Amino acid sequence: MSEANSTMKQVTPDSAVQNSANGKYDAVIIGSGISGAITAKELTAKGLNVLMLEAAPAKDMSYKGFKSYLSNYYENASKDNNSPYPNNPNARMPRSTDVSKLKPGVADAKGYLVQNGPLALDSTYTRVTGGTTMHWEAKILRMLPDDFSIKTKYGVGLDWPINYDDLMPFYQMAEREIGVSADVEEQGFYGIKYEPGYVYPMHGLPPSYLDKIVAKGIDGAEFVLNGETHTVKVRPFPQGRNGIPNERYNNGQGFTPVGALSTYQVEQGGRCQGNNNCVPICPVQAKYDARKTLVAAAKTGRLDFLPQAVASKVVVNEHDNNIQHIEFKHYASTSSTEHTVHQVHGKIFVLATNAIENARLMLASKLPSSSGLVGKNLMDHTYLLAWGLLPEAAGTMRGTKCTSGIADFRHGEGRKSQAPFGVDIHNDGWGWATGSPFSDVESLVDAENKFGRALRQSVVNRISNQLLFAFMVEQTADESNCVTVDEAYLDALGNQRPVIHYQLSDYSKAGIAYSRHTSKVFFQRLGAKDFSSYSPLDYGHFQYEGEDYYFRGGNHFSGTHIMGTCAANSVVDENQKSWDHNNLYLVGSGSMPSIGTSNTTLTLAALCYKTSKHIIETLSQYSVGVVSDSDYKIAKGASHE
Amino acid sequence: MDNQTYLVQQFTELSGALTDFNAFALNGTGLVQCYYDTLTRLVGHAIVEELLSTFVSLYESASNHEQFNEALRKHILGDEKFGPVARNIIKLWYTGTWYQMAHFWRDAYGMSEEDMTFFVNSASYAEGLLWQAIDANPSGAKGPGYGSWSAPPNIHFDNGWQFKPFTHTSK
Ligand SMILES: Cc1cc2nc3c(=O)[nH]c(=O)nc-3n(C[C@H](O)[C@H](O)[C@H](O)COP(=O)(O)OP(=O)(O)OC[C@H]3O[C@@H](n4cnc5c(N)ncnc54)[C@H](O)[C@@H]3O)c2cc1C
Ligand code: SF4
Repeated sequence: MSEANSTMKQVTPDSAVQNSANGKYDAVIIGSGISGAITAKELTAKGLNVLMLEAAPAKDMSYKGFKSYLSNYYENASKDNNSPYPNNPNARMPRSTDVSKLKPGVADAKGYLVQNGPLALDSTYTRVTGGTTMHWEAKILRMLPDDFSIKTKYGVGLDWPINYDDLMPFYQMAEREIGVSADVEEQGFYGIKYEPGYVYPMHGLPPSYLDKIVAKGIDGAEFVLNGETHTVKVRPFPQGRNGIPNERYNNGQGFTPVGALSTYQVEQGGRCQGNNNCVPICPVQAKYDARKTLVAAAKTGRLDFLPQAVASKVVVNEHDNNIQHIEFKHYASTSSTEHTVHQVHGKIFVLATNAIENARLMLASKLPSSSGLVGKNLMDHTYLLAWGLLPEAAGTMRGTKCTSGIADFRHGEGRKSQAPFGVDIHNDGWGWATGSPFSDVESLVDAENKFGRALRQSVVNRISNQLLFAFMVEQTADESNCVTVDEAYLDALGNQRPVIHYQLSDYSKAGIAYSRHTSKVFFQRLGAKDFSSYSPLDYGHFQYEGEDYYFRGGNHFSGTHIMGTCAANSVVDENQKSWDHNNLYLVGSGSMPSIGTSNTTLTLAALCYKTSKHIIETLSQYSVGVVSDSDYKIAKGASHE
Repeated sequence: MDNQTYLVQQFTELSGALTDFNAFALNGTGLVQCYYDTLTRLVGHAIVEELLSTFVSLYESASNHEQFNEALRKHILGDEKFGPVARNIIKLWYTGTWYQMAHFWRDAYGMSEEDMTFFVNSASYAEGLLWQAIDANPSGAKGPGYGSWSAPPNIHFDNGWQFKPFTHTSK
């Protein structure tokens, strides 16, 4: 903790416990990811006192800590998603490299997530200060209006208790906080609408050269599905990374991007430099991560931050079923399991530890909710990859991971019989599928025996011509996909680990199979050579209608504490408040009853704004010192400087 | 020129012939000495010196690039002892990674305990020649600037390695 950033006020466990016993805290928030950070920023801006517990250490809040992530990354030969982050047995995290093919009926416990099957899910999250946004890709899409009522419209999955219009104002707030680069003119499709005159904080990022080549080949391709024609058009993605501020933003007031965080302002947090390394880590901090929001919350002076504090139990008052306190385990060092156990009190409690960890904590506390739905309905996006070689050098391996994609299979009547999907064009080539570009060099040298000019030319042809489509397929709610806990699987602090039960429905598989079909048409139109192959030995392998496929997890865990219209059909209400426990909120993508074909973070961030507003209104009824709206605006505006 | 400088110079030339990046490009990475040291530390001075002197004699007896490449393939890349070392030199330059030598090689020629797959250092990753070959920045370093990804890549061979027929005065 000696490297702590001066702007983050950290408290000791003893003083947190003391303060909480004295009634200091209006809210206790567990988890410092984007969900917890937004909630903390909103509540503290309104004058409320917040205690935040974070399972991980916080030395990464300093520039020095950040640099050490980077050099870990450069020197780590296995560049998996979590490779920049050191192992912490006291708050472990999943790593995709831990996943291997499951044997039927045998749980695989070698990674942090216990994989109970039948399929292994290789999705991850990051337990560090700032949470998973430390290594997310920062594609930041709104959901389509139809996505909120798929049960009513298409007879699949679950409906939300709210709709797109209800979330619109909160989407705006989330887009400001994250600092989204996109152009409204390119994003208003398939029902997505904006308030009149709305513009994104920053202009859209330019598409890659690869995008342009792909667009030239496939724009205008037509596909007929359930009697409807889907016409393909390559479009740019909204990005949570700094571009050129739009001077028209906020009625002409413009937007000031948030750069690198550090005690000394380094000349780095400016615009995206195209490092093509957003996952797992952006070296110049052009990409949004939740520490940017956390530091803004801390600047109010009303956030007490307690790192190395792993929430271990949610304890309920028998007489009114409210939360009495949260128990946590505090460890002094990641190299020892030695820890002390404490309790904290507050007026309200917010669990913001992500969809898997929220459910894990509730279930380990023996609180499955009266609906019994905690941990059930686990959803994620499933990805199918298809990769080929273009006939020309496309400049692959430049720019951010992904600048454009295809939205034309996200909507329509086809959703009645097969899962819809979005498509990403990957600027990092075959990396996800094959380990490119290193694996290409290895095979050119070791197997194809190339050297000299022939090698150099082959490196160009093999890498610069790469094209990979990643098809992100919707998964709908299904109670048999779930996270559970088990006394047999404990972490170093004695906390129960998440056990994952996961399979794909025929609805999902039909969507995946159709996405593969579209890839073949795309490759034909582009004159590309198709290299895709789906080995039966792959851990994500499955067969559908006699064909082989594999899938990859989308890192969008959700659904484990869904929102609904009553205590019988859901865990939380539309404000993410627990039906059972009046002072408890479970926030994040766990609350989403369906995920459509949008990466989940913008929607979960919007939900956190809605929840914060609700909490502020609720607490102000108890005459907690909530500041007036005009002060609130000043505080919010100021934090963007 | 002392022996050490001479060896490093020959190492640079051999690296050039194997990777098709000339001495100017290789020196530009700032890693020549570091890679030479890594190589000698891991496979030993004796084998490195033997490899370099084989290279020099192949170079001196070839009269054109084609002939030289043929000899290089036969007597170095296709050699039981030198082949794996030469391929590791290529991969080292292209990726910044030292790859652990194959089992049989380790058994036959006795490898150092440090022989594992690793990035030589954080600069080596960023200086991998593969990025230069495709006109991309190494992912995670040397950001080329906002919007640069929108233009076609500038792929060229201007800094390729040239075979120059050996003359005794050229050294
Ligand atoms: C590789 C990758 C790429 C992604 N790309 C995108 C993308 O492009 N677009 C998109 O929209 N989404 C993306 N996501 C998903 C996105 O990162 C998550 O949706 C988002 O970060 C979730 O935020 P959160 O705050 O709810 O949870 P998290 O960010 O996971 O934060 C939870 C926090 O709680 C802490 N915590 C956990 N357990 C405890 C405990 N018991 N006690 C105390 N603290 C605890 C953790 O340490 C962490 O700080 C990606 C995810 C991954 C892994
Ligand atoms: S492309 Fe690079 S600079 Fe841009 S956000 Fe990603 S890692 Fe950061």
